[in-house]
Amino acid sequence: MTDIRLEVASENAISEIHYDGHEVRQPPLSMSEQLSQFARRIDFSAVENGGSDEPGGKTGEDAESMEDDEEEEKPCQQPHWPLESVRNKIRNAHTEICVLHDLLQMVKEKKYLVLDLVQTPQPQPKLYIQFLSLKKSLSNASGILMQGAERIRSSQSSIARPSSDFHLDLLRLRKNWKLKKVAANIVGDLSYSAVGSNFKHNSFFEVTKSDDDVTLTTPLSALPGSSPSIGRSSLRVTVPPELEGSAYIFVCIRKDEEDLCSAQLNMLDGLATLNAQPNMSPSTEHWQQKLENAQNVLFCKELFSQLAREAVALRMDIPPLVVANQIAATIFPGIHLLIALCHSHPDSSRSRSSLTAPHNVLSNGTINELGSSSTTASSNTSTDHHSSSSLGGGVSSLKNLHDKVLEHSLHQLFHSYLKSSSPMPHPVYAPLHAHPTRRVAGPQGLDRQQLMQTVTHETLLEQIIKEAQHNFLRLRTMFVIDQLAKELKDPLIFSHWNLFNSPTQSCVRINIVTQGFDSVIRTTLVVQVFERSLRCVCRDGRVMTLSFEPQELLNLLRCQVAQHQTAAVQSFSKLMGWTVNCSEPCLGVGSAEPLGSASAVVLTSPAGNKQILVRSGPCTGVSVSVAAAPRNDFYPSAVVHERRWDQLPGAWQEVRLDSMEGRNFLAKIELLMAALTAQN
Amino acid sequence: MSGSKQTQSKEALLKSYNKRLKDDVKSILDNFLEIVKLGQVEDETQVDRITHLEEVHFQMSVRSHNMVRAAESLLKLVSDVKQYLILNDFPSVNEAITLNSQMARNRCQQVDQKLIALRDDIAADLYELEEDYYSSIFKDSAK
Repeated sequence: MTDIRLEVASENAISEIHYDGHEVRQPPLSMSEQLSQFARRIDFSAVENGGSDEPGGKTGEDAESMEDDEEEEKPCQQPHWPLESVRNKIRNAHTEICVLHDLLQMVKEKKYLVLDLVQTPQPQPKLYIQFLSLKKSLSNASGILMQGAERIRSSQSSIARPSSDFHLDLLRLRKNWKLKKVAANIVGDLSYSAVGSNFKHNSFFEVTKSDDDVTLTTPLSALPGSSPSIGRSSLRVTVPPELEGSAYIFVCIRKDEEDLCSAQLNMLDGLATLNAQPNMSPSTEHWQQKLENAQNVLFCKELFSQLAREAVALRMDIPPLVVANQIAATIFPGIHLLIALCHSHPDSSRSRSSLTAPHNVLSNGTINELGSSSTTASSNTSTDHHSSSSLGGGVSSLKNLHDKVLEHSLHQLFHSYLKSSSPMPHPVYAPLHAHPTRRVAGPQGLDRQQLMQTVTHETLLEQIIKEAQHNFLRLRTMFVIDQLAKELKDPLIFSHWNLFNSPTQSCVRINIVTQGFDSVIRTTLVVQVFERSLRCVCRDGRVMTLSFEPQELLNLLRCQVAQHQTAAVQSFSKLMGWTVNCSEPCLGVGSAEPLGSASAVVLTSPAGNKQILVRSGPCTGVSVSVAAAPRNDFYPSAVVHERRWDQLPGAWQEVRLDSMEGRNFLAKIELLMAALTAQN
Repeated sequence: MSGSKQTQSKEALLKSYNKRLKDDVKSILDNFLEIVKLGQVEDETQVDRITHLEEVHFQMSVRSHNMVRAAESLLKLVSDVKQYLILNDFPSVNEAITLNSQMARNRCQQVDQKLIALRDDIAADLYELEEDYYSSIFKDSAK
């Protein structure tokens, strides 16, 4: 095959064709026009595309987009002059060269830009390092968890011990004391407000958890349901400082006292530590014991303040005296009741309590004269500190003074006072609440006096004064009777005290008998002892009211003894066959007795020729006289039928009883009667 | 009025206890799950590998501490609930008071009976002793 040669026709392009078919051809291009035509055919876009890989070149996408732009611009952007595109390309190249030059210049200076190698992709890290690190982290976390678990376990094991369980102790505490939670603290109340007390005193204590384990030797037997053992308490109570220590109310009866206020005695050192356990500081005291002591202090303070308040308001002939922590009230002339509040702080420097000196306070067994004082002292019942064997001499002397009677009464009275002062349960919307007695006043038909009793109350001080008066009067009555019984050998005086007593009333039965002749005669009288008076019921039914003066009782007893002698002779004469001529209990003749009156009886022998006169006086004693008829023979007549009417006694002759045989008066009378009867 | 306030505050307290319980248990569970998740080995991280491991270590430590704290908080909650129960369990307190008062009453009765018996014995003996004493001639020395 022959190659076909394609050549451009060497003819110029036709530019115009006329209607007549004549073709007008273009003139041939000059050299410059041909060059520009060839230059226009150069495609620079291919060069631009090829340079995209160069640094700083445009990316392929950008180039395509630019090409598209150029293609779009081609139809509308016609070059203004032939080499415009060439110039543009060259100018762009120049610009890039300049930028490259600047860049190289900056890199060269290393001031603003540093060239470095392009990082090659990191090699894959080795996984065992990561595993090791995670393992370490996990073991660290497990260690922390184990430590925490161990701590929790140890705390739980300490809680598991019942002796040191805070909540167990708190439960025990809650069962016995009032507790409430205030913010984050547990606060308890020691006051007696639940039973009607209105005492305004700081009575709150705080319960905390003790951090240190303190071994206590306090017997826990005081706690209900606990056995005495050495225990640890994880609970600590903090009581107000003014309630720490021990306190008690001291009551005694004293006689005469100029130095009532001046004689004071500092609390004995031993007394301050009576309550506390030996070798135990207050901080280590068991909480139950501590709270009981604090409540006891509060009780004593409340009781004393109530007594002091009543003492100031009490209207008496001699008003009670309140000085510092002592109340002195006069119960009888020269006899005082003393009530003192003794409070000892555990810190000896703060011990400021005082007692009245007991040197002139007599114990019950040391009454040495009529009207002397007796003493009762009270101690604290809840803390029987007097059982301690480590007391000093002063304390043991105080111990002897305590018979706990008035103290017990005082406590009981205060308990009943609190109970009565607490309002009865009633609806809150009720305007008033009546006394329970007044509610039943109508149905039961109470009279005015009974109604008045519901609104009038005796104060505590009045009641305790009455009890003290009765106590004192009873002891003095006992003393008077015993003294007379010791003094009189004939007849014998027996006194039997009735044990069914009330705090302000007691009773004694006095028997006057002659030894050996109990069945013949027995004179009985009953003496009732009240607060300030005595009432005697005699054998014949007479009732006499005596004052508190002991002499009156003594006189009465002496009169009764004198009458007993005549009555005994009178009764005995019946057994002996003698006749009672006359009997006079109140003799109006003869020498007058200093007190009372003498009694007399005249007896005649069975034969009628002998007569005995017995005269008995309270002070003068017994005197016996005999008289005999002068004639021994008798001749009955129409007027005088019996011998006894014929014989008239002669002169009276007194018998010297002291010289007679016989143990007592009646034995001597018996002997005398027998002798006189035998003479017939 | 005060009663309703007390009831409200009590309700709020009980709710807070409940909330504390749930929060603590949730805290223990969440932290445990997070610790387990942190135990996974991750391939791709945006931060440096060493930094990531340090962060994991620190995070595990904090989360384990959080678990311990939540456990102790639970114990505290138990203690608080016990305390609340002890302080507000009024039926139990009333029962204890009744029991104590019954015990005291019984003891009082026993003591009274013993005292009365003792009084009777003493009264009988005292009568004879008084008879003997007043009929004897040794009153002075006896007193």
